[in-house]
Amino acid sequence: MSQAKTAILYSPGTNCHEETAAAIELAGGKAELVLLKDLIDGHSRLGDFQAAIVPGGFSYGDHLGAGRIFATMLVARLRDQLVRFLDAKKPLLGICNGFQVLTEAGILPDRIPGHRTMALLENQSARFEDRKLRLIASAEKCVWTEGLAGQILEMPCAHGEGRPLFCSAGTSSPARVVFRYGDEKGQPTMEYPSNPNGSPDAVAGISDETGLVLGLMPHPERTSLPAQYSQDGLKIFQNLVRWLER
Amino acid sequence: MAIHSIYTLSKDDPEARNWLSFFHRRGHTRLTNLIIERVFWLEGSFDLGKLMPLLVNTLYQVPAERSQLDPRQGPIVEIAYRPAVTDPETPSILAGAHALGETGLEFARLSRRYQFCGLDESEAKAVAARFLYNKVVERIRDQHEVVLTLRPSGKPDPVGEVSLRNLSDAELGALSHARSWYAPLSQMKVIQAHEQERGRPYTDAEIEILVQSWSDHCYHTTWKSLGLLKKLSEATRRINHPLVVSSFTDNAGGMEFVADWVITIKGETHNFPSSIAPFGGIATKHGGVIRDTLGFGKGAYPIGGTTVMGTMDPRMPDDEVPVGALPPELIVSESIRATAYYTNPMGIPMMHPLYRCHPGYAKCFALGHSLGLIPKKYAQKDPPRPGDIALLIGGETGRDGIHGATASSTGMTGETLKKESAAVQIGHPITERRFTTAIPILRDQGCIRSITDLGAGGISCAAGEMGAETGVQLDLDAVPLKDQSLTAWEILLSESQERMLIAVPPEKLAEAQSILRRFEVTYSILGRFTDTARLEATWKGQQVTNLKMGFLWSACPIDSTATAQPQRKLQPVSIAEPRTRDAWAEAVHRVLSHYHCADQSAAGTRFDTTIQGRTAVGPYGGRNHRMPTNLYVSAPLRDKPNGVITTLAFNPFYGEINPGAMARLMMFEAITKAVVAGADYRQMVLCDNFYTPRVRPDVAWELTRMVETISSLSVELGVPFISGKDSSSGTFEAGGRRIDVPPTLAVATVGRVENVKQVITKDFKRPGNRLVLVGRCDPEVVGGTVYADCFGERGDSLFDAYDATTIRAQWDRLLKLHSARQYVSGSAIAEGGILLRLFEAAFGSGLGARVELDAIPPGRRDGLLFGEFIGSCLIEVSPDCELSSHLAGIPYRVLGEVTEEPRLTVTERGAVVWEEAVAQLAESWSKTFREVVK
Repeated sequence: MSQAKTAILYSPGTNCHEETAAAIELAGGKAELVLLKDLIDGHSRLGDFQAAIVPGGFSYGDHLGAGRIFATMLVARLRDQLVRFLDAKKPLLGICNGFQVLTEAGILPDRIPGHRTMALLENQSARFEDRKLRLIASAEKCVWTEGLAGQILEMPCAHGEGRPLFCSAGTSSPARVVFRYGDEKGQPTMEYPSNPNGSPDAVAGISDETGLVLGLMPHPERTSLPAQYSQDGLKIFQNLVRWLER
Repeated sequence: MAIHSIYTLSKDDPEARNWLSFFHRRGHTRLTNLIIERVFWLEGSFDLGKLMPLLVNTLYQVPAERSQLDPRQGPIVEIAYRPAVTDPETPSILAGAHALGETGLEFARLSRRYQFCGLDESEAKAVAARFLYNKVVERIRDQHEVVLTLRPSGKPDPVGEVSLRNLSDAELGALSHARSWYAPLSQMKVIQAHEQERGRPYTDAEIEILVQSWSDHCYHTTWKSLGLLKKLSEATRRINHPLVVSSFTDNAGGMEFVADWVITIKGETHNFPSSIAPFGGIATKHGGVIRDTLGFGKGAYPIGGTTVMGTMDPRMPDDEVPVGALPPELIVSESIRATAYYTNPMGIPMMHPLYRCHPGYAKCFALGHSLGLIPKKYAQKDPPRPGDIALLIGGETGRDGIHGATASSTGMTGETLKKESAAVQIGHPITERRFTTAIPILRDQGCIRSITDLGAGGISCAAGEMGAETGVQLDLDAVPLKDQSLTAWEILLSESQERMLIAVPPEKLAEAQSILRRFEVTYSILGRFTDTARLEATWKGQQVTNLKMGFLWSACPIDSTATAQPQRKLQPVSIAEPRTRDAWAEAVHRVLSHYHCADQSAAGTRFDTTIQGRTAVGPYGGRNHRMPTNLYVSAPLRDKPNGVITTLAFNPFYGEINPGAMARLMMFEAITKAVVAGADYRQMVLCDNFYTPRVRPDVAWELTRMVETISSLSVELGVPFISGKDSSSGTFEAGGRRIDVPPTLAVATVGRVENVKQVITKDFKRPGNRLVLVGRCDPEVVGGTVYADCFGERGDSLFDAYDATTIRAQWDRLLKLHSARQYVSGSAIAEGGILLRLFEAAFGSGLGARVELDAIPPGRRDGLLFGEFIGSCLIEVSPDCELSSHLAGIPYRVLGEVTEEPRLTVTERGAVVWEEAVAQLAESWSKTFREVVK
């Protein structure tokens, strides 16, 4: 087992941290739940971890916007730690609400805290969508998806705001599409509900230019554990563990 | 202090579009556009520029310092919280601003401005009042209002006195009604006599506490008077089941799981609030039943939930809706929105979303369950000791939900909708989510001696019950308020949501406080447990209550209730059997598109079914994830394959024909659903939820029948009930019209399976496999079925073919067959009969089926396909399965086989009676519900 530790960051309203930690552990990694408040109060340090995941949920009730307050805390109170973490080329994953946090914080796609160039808008259906989906992994270079290019991964989505909006004007490094929603034939699709939110170009997950930071709307930790309907999602966590062991 | 406002518009607003189409459906067709502008009100001195990234994301929102709406485009209705009430988002805004270093921001509020293009001002206000805000806590803001401060303001009334001395019976009755106590005369007289005895008048708080605690909702007076409350718990005691850890005494029931863990179950109805304000009512239905899990033992963790709704038919035209009742379409769509609003942020997987209709549900049936997980060593509470701290945690106390318990114990009239809207609570899931995370930690650190939730009756009930044996002294000044105008009795009785009461050993107080601070849970030291055997409270230096616990908890008089067997006017079913292929097709499409059989995933997919990562089988399955499984299977412990399986049975039609038989059938149906999936009924417990009309002799007779039936059947089966709830207020009265709910019982099962991977689902597995009906069938009986309802008939008899002995023999055979892995798909027959099961299994697998009617005894041919043979199952076995030995001694029939082609075919003597492609059938099946919840 790798000794590298992955921080699973959580705040009031986060509700997927335990299963995300369980998926990392099953993949052979070491996960630790880290309360955002403990980081802010100085009881934990991001620097003690070799990777981090912002899991799903409704952080701070999604008040003012999905992921907005969590992102504000990261940018306003933990900017230095965050910049050092990114500069140290450590992998970072945002799942669902975590993805929303990373875009609200400007970490995705530009790696610049406080500089927003993409947003995740309300689903076209104006509803929360709980769906079991097929994701097509692209050939983009990304720590989390190495060796998965062209594969179809099954995992569910569960979100109300997942439709990406990119603002090409302010961005220095366009997002790289790592996952797209696929139809029954394995082709990228705009058809609802295989594309659950009306995402343009069927985008389900993107990474930054380094391939270290991944944001993903569906939930790989819900197809990782043996009891779940598939274990496709585990591949993403196994990639992290392999990368950390190198 | 200066007040700034920021107006924001979204560049793209699906929510506004959704409301627009909603209002169009409700007949406001002159509405050409709806625009929503959101406003931040900010008080203090701060750098607005620095706050902007917190308030606005300019990628998709446009901020301005003035309104961006052009008043010429249509009337604008601005909705804000009342001045005395704090916005739920206020603490988040302040926390965010403080994180940004803007500590000069002292207070914040939000409002929403709706512009109704195409409507006139009065219609816009009427629409807003009906759909867009809750008058208890919100208001329409006057556009010319001058705002001096945003801080909640208001002045409370002083403690009042109430004397019942020398009041006549008529005066007592009038007082009880006028004050919304709805207490029966016998209670008023006991309270009157006690005043004489103690020699001083009551404070308003004392009398409010008494009538509240003695309401049917809290004290179960109807059930007690009929001697029913003890029947089920005595049956459970007689069964003495080794797996039962806790039954009928705590906030939920508990069953031993594995490895020193316990699974808990509770079902709670919220019928009254959901009928008058569905969004708030349903949100708090979930919030409340989840707190029952958190309040089990020393705090269980919620791992699953349900939502079960019985309403009038949502397709009912507005002009047929009884005056004073809300349109059922609104109740259903608002309930779906509220379930999503509450359960998704709570992070609890939806196990069973179920929607049914019946013309009797003018006062709707709104049930939710909560499944919990707790270490066995924490499954029992300890009694609080004198000196223990009464710690109140969670949300602030407001005006919401006052008189909820007394109001929901009475019937519902057109007047109720106006008079009792204050009885509806408001739900904020983030507040509950905070302590859901903190409670298991408090528990594991030994900070919890006892814990309970604040529900009906608020602080008075929770503290009064927890301190019933010791006494408790409360300091109401310590209670954090969201409404500064609350007076003492309102603080005591408020049913504000998301609050729990914990008895903390004094030496653990500091540790408890530190844990709560870390998880950002608000708390206050409400008081101490004493040894006075009194419920005492003070507020602003005044004595608010000083009641003897003995009087409070044992002086309530129980009126006797007469019973009389009702005379039912039942007609036999007169539907003519289909004779042509077209007539068959017509019947099939009617059944598949019936509200009870149709695809309800348009609602179900709005609820998270896989959160927590424990879901092994969710409510929807099959190749396209839209096939209803009628099952939920969880793997609660991440390192073990052991599973918990839950199933439900709820049928509003059967009770009209025979309430006792309905009750028996609900048990058979729920258990059979779990058994055919592979769960042993000997490792299963049950939860009951009753809903009956306001008590009259005939209702009392029926209720007694139902309770006696399930009590004795549970003993005969050895399957105990461990938790349940009764509501005896299912009567709606308005304009001289009385509408009673049908006798209603929902049964939930909780079972154990050794390995979640061995659970059998209903989707077909392989072409060429044989389809077998295991159990009895009687095609002559179609009473109570969906099929009969499709033709506007109810019938006069039910398929009621099993007793405990015969059904157990059948379950035993099925379980043997399962452990020998002899069947690969299976499902219990229920609503929609064999036909619905064939369709679902085909739809979920992409395969088809051919069924031969020759296989069945002579009789109605439609009865074979549509009859609801509760207790019997459809299973799929390989062609070489030796049925005669495996199923020796129990009835079974080979019905046909699974086919490669996705088509259902019914033949008789080699000739096709009816056939149709599954895809075509799916269209009818998918349409109904989608149109209701669009």
